[in-house]
Order: sequence, then structure tokens, then C-alpha cells
Amino acid sequence: MSKQKLVIILLLLLTVQATSVFAVQRFPKPEFETGYIQPETQVPSPRTEILAVMDVVVLLLSLSVISWIVLKKRSRNGVFLMSVFSLIYFGFYREGCICAIGSIQNITLALFDYNYILPLTVIAFFIIPLVFTLFFGRTFCAGVCPFGAMQDMVAFRPQKLGSRLNAILGMVPYIYLGLAVLYAATGTDFIICRYDPFVGIFRFNASFSMFVFAGILLLSGIFIARPYCRFLCPYGVLLNWVSRFSRRHITITPAECIQCRLCEDSCPYDAIDFPVTSRNPESRQVMVRKLMLICTLIPFLIVAGGWTGIRLHETLAGVNGKVKLARQLLDPATLRIQSEPFEITAYKSSGKSQMQVNEEASVMLKRFYTGGWILGGFIGLMFGVVIAGRMLNIWRTDYVPNKGTCLSCTRCVDYCPVKSDLSKVNT
Amino acid sequence: MKQKIFVIAALILLLCLILFMTRDLFFSHSENKPNPYEYDLKALKSADTTQSLYTEDRQIHTRLAEIHGVATDAADNIYIAGNGGVEIYSRDGVFLKKFSIKGTARCITVDVKDNIYLGMEDHVEIWNGSGKLITQWTSPGEESIITSIAVTDTWVFLADAGRKVVYRCDLSGKMIDRIGEKDPENKIPGFIVPSPYFDLGIAPDGSLWVVNPGRHEFEKYTFDGRLVSTWGEANMTMEGFCGCCNPSHFAFLHDGSFVTSEKGIERIKIYTSGGKFNSIVALSASFEEGTKGLDLAVDSRDRVIVLDPVKLMVRIFVKKK
Ligand code: SF4
Repeated sequence: MSKQKLVIILLLLLTVQATSVFAVQRFPKPEFETGYIQPETQVPSPRTEILAVMDVVVLLLSLSVISWIVLKKRSRNGVFLMSVFSLIYFGFYREGCICAIGSIQNITLALFDYNYILPLTVIAFFIIPLVFTLFFGRTFCAGVCPFGAMQDMVAFRPQKLGSRLNAILGMVPYIYLGLAVLYAATGTDFIICRYDPFVGIFRFNASFSMFVFAGILLLSGIFIARPYCRFLCPYGVLLNWVSRFSRRHITITPAECIQCRLCEDSCPYDAIDFPVTSRNPESRQVMVRKLMLICTLIPFLIVAGGWTGIRLHETLAGVNGKVKLARQLLDPATLRIQSEPFEITAYKSSGKSQMQVNEEASVMLKRFYTGGWILGGFIGLMFGVVIAGRMLNIWRTDYVPNKGTCLSCTRCVDYCPVKSDLSKVNT
Repeated sequence: MKQKIFVIAALILLLCLILFMTRDLFFSHSENKPNPYEYDLKALKSADTTQSLYTEDRQIHTRLAEIHGVATDAADNIYIAGNGGVEIYSRDGVFLKKFSIKGTARCITVDVKDNIYLGMEDHVEIWNGSGKLITQWTSPGEESIITSIAVTDTWVFLADAGRKVVYRCDLSGKMIDRIGEKDPENKIPGFIVPSPYFDLGIAPDGSLWVVNPGRHEFEKYTFDGRLVSTWGEANMTMEGFCGCCNPSHFAFLHDGSFVTSEKGIERIKIYTSGGKFNSIVALSASFEEGTKGLDLAVDSRDRVIVLDPVKLMVRIFVKKK
């Protein structure tokens, strides 16, 4: 079956989703007298232990196969077929849950809340892709992540964005990761799940806004390949870091680069680093000046970021339910609105005093004060690192995939005329 | 150039998306949002009444203080049963007779010989038309609540909401069979009866139908308890049944169509004999909010006779001309 046909079939699968977009939430389950057995829940059904183990086994196998395809076979068709499998298994069959991306929040919450019981599957889904990345690069992104697979299949006309735009948009995942960790650590919300664009599609129950969200990503993904992976995915940040230390990583050419430049435009993700040889090496003086600038800039950005984070900590805390409730109770405007917010209704029936609510909110605000500082500092640091990266010219003689941003999709491999045996150069 | 425009458009879309997320996370206020957990029936209750194919023809006000069941006999007389008595009215609503009973009748059925079967909480009593108690059957069990009775030439079927089972009895009241108990081997799901609304009936083709209210479906059984087929969909649209224990009551038109009544969202609807939604008889606007126990009967002219226990009357709906 040709790739196009497969893509069409998968898109047809997606259109089925459109029928349920406006579906109404099922009637809330009533309370019944004893003896009544609740009907089984359907979506998403909890996994039995054996199925959860099977998921981990499938994840391990998939990562092994995709790493072998990427590094040994260097086959784009193989990667594509693995993506189809992952989309079906991890996407539609497992309904996109638990995914490695969302597991960041579970791990964070478990670190900050000892009462939170972290399932072993979640740990596995968080750790295993990172371990594979440490050895083989981002093969997880290439063909195991269903989110990536879905976007990869619609990247029909990918265009280059330019390094500056890539760098600017590439900051968003750091901010998203920081916010996700902050909100998970404070027990506020799992924002990665809240704004998960594809889970609703996998479960055929997306709300209208989530359907639009996914639609926008897929639509823009036709021209900007994998926009979620590159400019939103918080797990991608971790994979990017780890991949930089990967022992074996995909290379464009299996042997020596012959500087044919055929691969120059082959990467839809702008993840190929070009040779830096032609320029005169910078003088020692310039180098020292740059280094001094970087050494001043990074601490400055960290402090500036931290300071901004502190200034914004109340806004950040506004997302937290406890803080939100306290604010609503203190706000005289709340009393004037005809239909009271449902948080207030819930509070009234909880029997809590306003004092208790205020105390809880102030504890939370303190946590957000610290969290805001760390978040701001982290974002400042990342800004600094990105700027430093752009300032420094790293000597490079060949065209090589950027170990951090390369998604190991093997597209560029097909462009390289060099076979492993240099005598067999395709002409 | 064209490609560049597409990329710019895609970038703008992405930017909008990020802005939407930021706005939604930090600047959306719940005062303006509807409560996602609120169980709001208003929209469903205010369905278009012009869709209704029936109109209310007459009302019969009962003198009983509490009413639970309605039935008709072969001559289309209307029987109302409740706490302490049974009343009989002519098809035009003229009061004919009343007799007293001890306790509360939860359901009533009249057989072809005009014997009146009353489900008296945990047991069945049979009375004749002149108000004489013919016999009283033994109770199936203390926790029994008989909520529906159907009579054929040879059998009497009882729906027991308390024990969540249907009994097949002979005409003397001897229990022959228990129907509908959970039996995964024979693919019988078991009745889910969260509250005492559990109806059954014999269709014009002689088949036994029972409501499984927790599952929002009708189940057809052979007389020896084999599950033959089911229909019914749990959803909040007009075509489905929703809430707790719905449909609460039903009756058959002469072509085998089902007339159903629901509580929560008070509505009376008609489904074809195959279970397809057909038409509306009455919607919430016709009833007091919270009305429960809209028992149904159908007479020989296919008039839909509805017991309204809140307004203490029987309401007769006829098809619009
Ligand atoms: S494998 Fe090649 S084409 Fe694919 S992301 Fe990496 S550098 Fe780009």
C-alpha cells in the first residue's frame, strides 16, 4: 500500500471523529442504593495489570525496532510503517494515555506529593524513551510517539522557517515545560493533558475547542512540519537534552560526507547543521569577549527571569483552585453576579470557613512565589543558552543532524548519494 | 511566494493557538463559564412542543389522595389504583365506582374477565369489578415490591423491583419461573433497578417485554426466560432514554408500538415496534416539575391514558387530526 493511501485511510479515521465533536457528555451517574452494580466505564477504560505490562512491553519492542530501523536499516519506509503502527496502537487503541509527554506531570506530582501513588507504567513510559534516546537519539519521536506520527503524516509541504524563527518558537516548549512542572508540583492542574490536542481525537470524544486545536496543528503541520513536537512538546525538551549525549545517533551519510549538498534542504524540521569551515576562525580577543558576554548574560537573564517570575507569581497562582476560590470570596463583584461561580457553590456546601480558604490560598501563594522564581530563572537560563548557542561558531566540516532537534525521521538519508562503501556513490 | 504565504498563515494559526492557551489558562473567569458539572435539564425540557403528534383530550380528576397505577378493561373503562382504594371511570370519564383496599396498590392490571390485579407492595391481590377480594397471593419475599403485572390466558407475569426479577406465575399464583436474573452464560445482563420503577407488558403479538431501567433498554423474553432481543439507547436526545431508571412505564398501541414515559425529564414518546423513535405524546411543559410515576395505559381506540400522580388525575391524549 502506498504512503498516500495509508495517509488517506488515517485521515478518514479522523473524520469519524467529527461526528462526535458536538456530542453531549453522558448523563452523570446517579447514586444508587446498595446492591447496584455500576456499569463498566468505557472511555478511557482502566487497563488491567496484564494489559499495562503489555503496553510497556510493546513500548520496549517498538523502541528497539525503530532504533534498529533508524540506525541499521536507515529506512524511511520502515520508520513510516512503525509510525502507522504506533498511531494505531498507542494512539487509537490505547487512546493516547498514558503518554510519555503527560507522564512528566505525574512524575513531578509524585515528587512533591507523597500521597500521590505513581503507577509503574507511568514511570516506564517516562523513563524508557529517555533511556533509548540516550543511546540512539530521538528514535521515540521518529516512530513511536503517536502525536508525532499523526503530524508526520500530514507534513505534505514542509517549508524552512529559518534559524532565528526556529530559535524564537523553540523557546515555547521550555516555557510550557516550566509551567507544566510548576502546576503539577503545586497540585494545580495537569496542563499538558488539559491542552492535549490529540487525545480527544484518539478517544473520539474531543470537545469542540480541542478539535479546533488539533485541526489547527494538523493544518499548519502541512507547511510547518510537526509543529507540536517542535514548538510545544515539553517532553521534547527533555529528549532534546538527552539526545545531545546520545552514544549513537543517526548520520546523514553512512560514510564520509562528500559535500554534495544534496541533503541541505531535505530536513523538514530544519534539524541539519551545516558545515562551518569557510569562515576565518575568530580571533582570541573576539572569543574572549563573547565568552565574557555570555558569562554575564546568562546570570543576568536568570535573575531577570526570576524577578519577572516573582512579579507574575500572583497571576500564575490564579490558575490554582484554592487561590481562585479565595479571590472570588474576597471579591465583592462575585456577590453581584446573578449566577454564582460553581466553585463558590461547591465551597458553600463543603462547610469550610472563609478563614480556612484564605489560609490555604496564602500557603499556595507562597509556593507560587518560590515556583515563579524558579520558573522565571529557568526560562531566563534557557534564553541565555539559546543566545549563547547562536553566538558561538562551532567548527564543523560535514552536514550533520543536530543531535538535539533531529527527530531521526531518516528523510535526509535518502538524499545522500553515499553508500556505506564509498566506491558506491549514486550518480 | 505562494508557499511563503502558506507558511505565514500557518505561523499565524500557531500563534493564535498559543495565545488561546495563554488566555484560557490565565485570563478566563469561571463566572462567565457554565458549570461543567451542573446537571441542567432545562434545554432538554424546553423541546419544541409542535413536534407533538398528540393533544390532550380530557382529564379525569380522582378522589384518591395518592395514585400509582392506571389500567383499562375490554370496554375501555379506566381503573385508577392508589392508596386505600380503586376507582373506575367510563371511557368518557364518568365516575362509575369506587372500592376500598387495605394499603397501597403500586400497580394495576385488568384481565379479559375484568378481574383486577393489584400489586400491593410485596404481594398481589385479585379483586372483581364489584369490589370483592377474590384472592391474595403469597408474597415472594419481604423485600419484594411488585411494580407491574401482565396477564395472559395462562400466565401472570410480575415485575419485582425489590428483588430485580420477573416472575412467571400460573393463574393460581404459583410461581413457575424467575426471568431476567443475571446469567452471563446465556447473555442475560440482569435487571438494574435503582428505584421502584420497573415495568413489563405483553405486546399485541404475545411477546413479553420488560424494561431494564438502569440500562435504559427494553428486553424481550420468551415465557421460559430466554432473552430474545433488546432495544433502547442511553442518551439525552429525544430518541434516547436518560437519567435514573427510565423509561419508568410503558404500554402498547395496537400495532405493537411502544408508548413510554420518563421521569427526570418528564416526557411521553412513541417508538415503533422495532424500537425506533416515532413521535412525541407530551413533553415536560405538560407536567409539574419533578413528576414521577407517569403510569400508562392504552385503550381500544389507541388513546394514550396517562396517570399524573402530582395533579391527581388521569389525562387522556389522542392523536391530532
Ligand atoms: S533524520 Fe535527517 S531529516 Fe530527519 S529530522 Fe534528523 S536531520 Fe532532519
